[in-house]
Amino acid sequence: MARKSHPTPNYPCKRIIRTMKQIALYGKGGIGKSTTAANLSAALAGEGLDILQIGCDPKHDSTRMLMHGTWIPTVLDLIRERGDEGITVDDVVYRGFRGVRCVEAGGPEPGIGCAGRGIIATFQLLERLDALKGDVIVYDVLGDVVCGGFAMPMREGYAQEIYLVTSGELMSIYAANNIAKAIARLSRRVRSRCSLGGVICNAKNIEGERDLVEDFARRINSRLIAYVPRDRVVQVAELHRQTVVEYAPDSSQAAVYEELGRAIYANRKTSIPTPLEMDELESFAFEFVQV
Amino acid sequence: MNSSPSPSNSSRFEGCTLTGALSVLTEIRDAVCVIHGPSGCAHHNFSLLHATLLSNDRLEVPRLLSTRLTEKDIIFGGEEALESSIARALSLSPAPSSVFVLSTCIVETIGDDTAAVSAKAWGVPVIAVPTAGFLGGVFETGVRNALSSAALLAESARERTLSANLIGEKNLEYGVDENAAEIVRLLARLGIGINLRFVRGIATGDIGRLGSAAVNILREPALRPVGEDLKRRFSTPFVDSFPVGLAGTCRFLADIGRICSVDASAAIEEEQAFQREMLSRFADLKGSRVCFRSPHSMLEGDPAAEAVLAECAIALDLAVDPDGTPIPLPYPAPVGTAGVRRMLNRWRVQIRG
Repeated sequence: MARKSHPTPNYPCKRIIRTMKQIALYGKGGIGKSTTAANLSAALAGEGLDILQIGCDPKHDSTRMLMHGTWIPTVLDLIRERGDEGITVDDVVYRGFRGVRCVEAGGPEPGIGCAGRGIIATFQLLERLDALKGDVIVYDVLGDVVCGGFAMPMREGYAQEIYLVTSGELMSIYAANNIAKAIARLSRRVRSRCSLGGVICNAKNIEGERDLVEDFARRINSRLIAYVPRDRVVQVAELHRQTVVEYAPDSSQAAVYEELGRAIYANRKTSIPTPLEMDELESFAFEFVQV
Repeated sequence: MNSSPSPSNSSRFEGCTLTGALSVLTEIRDAVCVIHGPSGCAHHNFSLLHATLLSNDRLEVPRLLSTRLTEKDIIFGGEEALESSIARALSLSPAPSSVFVLSTCIVETIGDDTAAVSAKAWGVPVIAVPTAGFLGGVFETGVRNALSSAALLAESARERTLSANLIGEKNLEYGVDENAAEIVRLLARLGIGINLRFVRGIATGDIGRLGSAAVNILREPALRPVGEDLKRRFSTPFVDSFPVGLAGTCRFLADIGRICSVDASAAIEEEQAFQREMLSRFADLKGSRVCFRSPHSMLEGDPAAEAVLAECAIALDLAVDPDGTPIPLPYPAPVGTAGVRRMLNRWRVQIRG
């Protein structure tokens, strides 16, 4: 009699790798992704975790507050100047506030070349340098997933949880909905591990904003994981070239970021989003906006 | 976005836009073609062109230069690489009289502005030719784009002479020069000479006189857009194909005569007599059983060629029969009376085994 076949074995080494949490923040340009990411990284580092933050935007300003205003050399600047042969981890990874390791992908000059391919090249180099490690990797990605390159952090082996950063403004919700489409698309791929971790409301102080974003999150089969109120201290901290967590550690805003960090780090509940159609999105907006 | 000019007859019309353009532009002997893309795009075309030249006993090397783009250039933009390659082309010895800049799929994807880089004051004409294949074009599109781009080197106002241009000869085909010689022979009956072979074995400076012919003779109807373009720019009328078949050759003489205001009746009579004399040499084939078929199961027959075969079968009194000697449809269709004669010589070999 034929023996019953064994179930797929669990390789313990893979389990160890999986304990590293890789998350990505996506959202409309200017919505506050980098501010949120940097404060999140700072807060998580405060919990004693080893954090790597990777800015995936040609503007390369994701990690600047963690680096106290210093523009660190970008991976693509280094590749451009020296080719990718002689680059070491120390050339691309810089330690900022609380030891957060910072990387900026960088990109071509505005209006030329292919920034998306730049992200792919950056990831390939970081893989080769074995730089993608730590307790948490935070990918801070350009506002719009304009091409395959900017979806790179969502691919197999990188971010498993995506967090959408949005305010209550329609255009910001619209962008978040588009990114949800990209997640839904990529999650259909074989071996894909990418899913939506939740929605972060980075408030603009619009009336009923929290309810609106919460409802949007629910409608796309997700949930509001944090509400970050608008606070002047964010701008003041930025003028001092610091994250809020560093500049005003005892402020209520710092406490919000610490809570965000705990919520994300503990989050085990992710979902495949169900993005809204354009007409659904518009009628949804009408429900919340007093016309 | 894409619009593939779906060819009616065969897969020969497909292929890469870049290759089509190079088949034209490498025949401008004092020009250099800069291929803006990865080195492979230049390499396989170089091999193809070089092999074709060698098989036609021409010991020349196509003057191609690649900008040799790598991933770095794709990320940061390839325009600098293009500039330095144009400069390198101009520093070659002997110095080129013109430079053609051909784009590839990847540079069109990332949006390199090859036209803007080419438009700088280089001292000699540097002409951008759009040749990215993925935009839906085929080999023919490249040929057309190259002809229209090269025509930019022509002088606009020139005195007309009683002469003809040959437009878009198929430089990669076997028998290019035999076909051209046949046109020369036919035009001589009308007292018309060749002004310019556009483009076959010419120099950059020769293109200046493109506008002075009385008629443009297109190699094949697929080149009609080029014919229209040249008509718009130089007011030169055109016939849309080299002559095909026996009756077609006489019609060709009539068309050229009408366009050039030359009485063609004597020329046509002479040609008909010439054709009868030619056919009489194949009288031994009379009554042979033949069967015409596509040269390859993947290729559809060329309707023009089929018409010529039917015409010849009648003229030689052959019996068309499914069990007859298989005769492949020629591609391209035979040009002029001489083309028919060469074809009939092949038939004789096939029929007699």
